[in-house]
Amino acid sequence: MDPALKLEGVAKRYGRFEAVRDLSFEVEPGTICGFLGPNGAGKTSTLRMILGLTDPSAGRITVLGADDGRKVRDRIGFLPEERGLYRKITPIDAIAFFAGLKGVPLGEGRKRARRMLEEQGLEASMKKPMKALSKGMAQKVQLMAAIAHEPELVILDEPFSGLDPVNQQGLEKVIHDLAARGATVLFSTHVMQHAERLCKKVVLLANGRKVFEGSIDQARNTAPRHVELEGRIAPDQVSGLPGVAAVESTAVPGVEDGVQIHRASLAASADPQEALKAAFARGLDVRRFEMRQPTLHDAFIVLTGGDR
Amino acid sequence: MNRLILIARREYFAYARTIGFWLSMLVLPAFVVLGGMLPGYMKNASPVRTVAVVDMTGQGKGPQVVEAMDRLYLRDQASSLRRAALDEAGRGKADALRDLTEASGVEAGQARLKEIAPNAARGWTPGKRSVVVAPPPPDVAASTTVAQAEAALKPYVNGDRKLADGRALDAVAILTLEQGEVAARFWSKGVTDTRAEDAVDDALEEVLRADRLAAAGVRPEAVGALATIRPKLEVFSTRSTTGEAVTMRDRLPGLVGFAFGMLLWSTIITGASILMNSVMEEKSNRVLEVLLSSASTTEILAGKVLGVAGITATVLGVWAALGALILSSFAAAAPGLVQDFVDVLTGEGLIIYLLIYLVGGYLMYAVLFAAIGAFCETPREAQTLLGPIMILLSAPIIVMQLAIRTPDMAVVKVLSWVPLFTPFLMPARVPADPPMIEVVGTMLGMFVTAALMVWIGGKAFRAGALSTAKLDWKGVVGLLKREG
Repeated sequence: MDPALKLEGVAKRYGRFEAVRDLSFEVEPGTICGFLGPNGAGKTSTLRMILGLTDPSAGRITVLGADDGRKVRDRIGFLPEERGLYRKITPIDAIAFFAGLKGVPLGEGRKRARRMLEEQGLEASMKKPMKALSKGMAQKVQLMAAIAHEPELVILDEPFSGLDPVNQQGLEKVIHDLAARGATVLFSTHVMQHAERLCKKVVLLANGRKVFEGSIDQARNTAPRHVELEGRIAPDQVSGLPGVAAVESTAVPGVEDGVQIHRASLAASADPQEALKAAFARGLDVRRFEMRQPTLHDAFIVLTGGDR
Repeated sequence: MNRLILIARREYFAYARTIGFWLSMLVLPAFVVLGGMLPGYMKNASPVRTVAVVDMTGQGKGPQVVEAMDRLYLRDQASSLRRAALDEAGRGKADALRDLTEASGVEAGQARLKEIAPNAARGWTPGKRSVVVAPPPPDVAASTTVAQAEAALKPYVNGDRKLADGRALDAVAILTLEQGEVAARFWSKGVTDTRAEDAVDDALEEVLRADRLAAAGVRPEAVGALATIRPKLEVFSTRSTTGEAVTMRDRLPGLVGFAFGMLLWSTIITGASILMNSVMEEKSNRVLEVLLSSASTTEILAGKVLGVAGITATVLGVWAALGALILSSFAAAAPGLVQDFVDVLTGEGLIIYLLIYLVGGYLMYAVLFAAIGAFCETPREAQTLLGPIMILLSAPIIVMQLAIRTPDMAVVKVLSWVPLFTPFLMPARVPADPPMIEVVGTMLGMFVTAALMVWIGGKAFRAGALSTAKLDWKGVVGLLKREG
């Protein structure tokens, strides 16, 4: 099956500044792909090139089989990073208008808008002007306006920013539902928990370059594993355990003198069980031993160079 | 195409559904109607001032001053009757009407007006006298010195005492002799309303002139004749519609051209400003980015331009309807003038020219202003870019006024070739029948420039819409280079 989205050696330059460099990745149809990276990594520039809003300085982009996002704009839904709508328009009109731009007849657009607003619990605000809605409600409306035409590819730029935890959860459900319907979702974020819960695949960008492409597990594996030991143990006793590459030690406030928590990074091939066995064999005062799997956040920090 | 229509439709209703739009649209006609009615209303609504003339000259100058005041009022009414009759009856009969009125009074003049200009007579009423003369109160009249008279008159002028017939006395003029000539000491309560003072002053001037001419040996009959000298000047033009004397009908196209030039200026700039604000709002709330992902730049720009054109057309349509209503209400009073106005608009193709210049002008400025809006998020940013343009745009306003009297003046001709000024200056020139080469040439220049601006404006719009750069002309040019 052809990928829904394919970038090959894409670059974007603004004068002398290179926002995106030699970027290549693919997104399979029907998958949720997280497009991750710190602020200024080049995510928004890439999304704009995918949509055809700006041309790449080099490389090739294929979107839903077309060589230019503009050719298939009716099959794409887009939610920009900074959001807003016409202040005086009603949610129902806003959704119908943007769906209309994507080819949905106005009457049908209004029907879909009504249904979507009801599903999101916004029926009471249907005919209020947008300026009367709360920020969370307005963001929901804008998301609905972006997907009311049932697009095959949905591009969401930082969709979770500004939402409270309840609305974030609601948005995660919407994204899941989109994928369940068969749509491909590409969303940018720098909040790793969302990507971890939603994505089958992530692409990580730093300084305009791709630093990782793969599954969540593959991403996690790029970060070192840790074990945590708590007890009256000296840091050099922990660093002497087999497989331990580095140790960070902190005193536990309010606990008896000498008790510390040691966060030990393990070497790539190390077995944490060996370290535990050695600790007991050496009679160390181990009161707690915990093996910590790296999170996507850990991987993000490592891959983007944030640990340096 | 559907997207274009959808954007135009949204743009149109976003404005047309607001109360502010309809209110602001009705402001101009309301001002025009009020502006037309106000002078007449003020004239008739102003209170009449009562003046007493106390003659202390010992030469009977009091009655002469009062007579002069009556004569000046009559002369004023005679001129008003002449103006009313001019279009319908022609210059000769209008002049004769003035002479008749001055000789025989307003009633005779009004009767004659009905004969020679029956339509105008229906709308003509004698002007109200702003000043009437009352006999001085007995205690003031009995005074033997100026000081006595002034002491006696103050309670009346202050409003503490009334005249015998119950009227208030607003002012008193005490006539004296100064170096052998009549002079006056004028007392009134107010200092701002000078109508009574002016009336006494004008009357005194008449009396003094007559006295001096008499002193120089001029017979009294000759003095009267001097006051009514009327040169027999008849004005002709080879371009006159009648082929003979110049009438209001001949001057009307110039005035209409100027009026429409001004109308186009305000309509085009207002429409373009609406568009700029709309784009600016979309840019600031990021709707523009979503629009760009849903439609092409051309569709967005054309849709918005079309939507605001609809707004402009609605405004002009409503104004035209109101104008027709006002004209039809005048049709009875001045049928000739209304017919002439209609003839000027339709007979000489002026309305066609106006439509062409409206389209060309609107296109140029709409695209330019929309592109500026795409670079701005706040009115302050827009001001930075718009300032120089607005200064430039004040030039046609000044030059248009020159075009009414001298449409072939070099500066008017040269500036009408500047495409940005063409839509405002050519409507003012067209009624003067400029050479066809100039009409076609300037029109061509305007549309070529409009096409060029649509092309550049489209690029600027796209560049500006996605830009977050700080705003100045240097930055705009840089962005355009990158885009192009």
